Amino acid sequence: MKRLQDLPHKLADAPDAVLAERAGDGDVAAFETLARRHAPLMRAYARRLVRSPEEADDVVQDALITAWKDIGSLKDGAAVKAWLMRIVGHRAIDTGRRRKSHENFADQPDQADHQASPEDVAVVGSTRTALNSALARLPEEQRRCWVLKEFGGQSYEEIAEALGISVTSVRGRLARARTRLVTEMEEWR
Amino acid sequence: MNPTHDCGRSIEDLSDYLDTGASPDAEHIDYCPQCQARLAGLRSLSAAAKDLFDEDMAATADDDSGWLDGILANLRLETRAGRSIPLRGQGMDELTETEGAVIALVRSVGDALGGVLIGRCRLEGEIGTASAPVEVRINVSARYGYQLPTLAEQLRSAVFAELLVQTDLNVTAVHVAFTDMRPPFDDEQDSLEEGRQ
Repeated sequence: MKRLQDLPHKLADAPDAVLAERAGDGDVAAFETLARRHAPLMRAYARRLVRSPEEADDVVQDALITAWKDIGSLKDGAAVKAWLMRIVGHRAIDTGRRRKSHENFADQPDQADHQASPEDVAVVGSTRTALNSALARLPEEQRRCWVLKEFGGQSYEEIAEALGISVTSVRGRLARARTRLVTEMEEWR
Repeated sequence: MNPTHDCGRSIEDLSDYLDTGASPDAEHIDYCPQCQARLAGLRSLSAAAKDLFDEDMAATADDDSGWLDGILANLRLETRAGRSIPLRGQGMDELTETEGAVIALVRSVGDALGGVLIGRCRLEGEIGTASAPVEVRINVSARYGYQLPTLAEQLRSAVFAELLVQTDLNVTAVHVAFTDMRPPFDDEQDSLEEGRQ
């Protein structure tokens, strides 16, 4: 007979699908295990979509609240990671919208955030660093599309829905973002 | 890229080709130097993106590890009550327990057995009506090395016994579905091997 105290240990290596089923049935421990497993990913993703680490943490918290409420209706538990990322994407976009409605210069692309820091620039020659600063120079609408696609793994349709634009616009923005990023990275070399 | 000999293929076309590995235009793309150069650019962009995101993740993981504890503590996870199940009381007072509580009970019974972890659990039937027949359906993740029929039987009888004590449900069947198989823990492996000797 196994003791119940072994439960956290048992949950730790349980597959997402089983944890999602348990969480859907109301098992808080299973939900927490899922949250811990995917939180670094959710947090890194949120940071690329909003303006500050604090804002990103709020986004992750909101996303987890939504996830706990809705996980019972998730059909395919194995897809829980992609599902969590979709929720983070939506929450982050909402945060941006709310912020914009409080600002007068609503359509200014935010150039200041994600700017390469002096330490970043010191690592000259790293393609990662080149991408980081090229990303910072992209107009916000293009950067968001690109981050939702590349980091969030979202489909054109999902991005279109999250941003409230057409799939054709998503394709266009992504293509412009990719063209600019490739060009800037080639110049870096 | 040579703009005087632009082959006219867009970055969208090439991205699709890269994403799917197929294109109606593959014959051109495979032999066009301009397309090949652009594809190489897109590939190194993807590689750099992966690097950058991996680094982002490592950086967030290094950042104060307590942040998630705070978030989880703030979540105030509500319990899932589900339907209401009547219990036979002494007097005129209505006495019930929730479906969520019973499902949690089934989970803990299963979790206490070696080799299994309970997934989804469903109570099927008119559980709100006293003595209506109820069937229990349980998804189970099992460790390798256990006899599944034996495991299912242990689980079934443990669930029957516990529900008999803790509820007034008229349980007519406990269905077990093994929906996942996992390698054993090291310590479980040890005890299994000891058992065989």
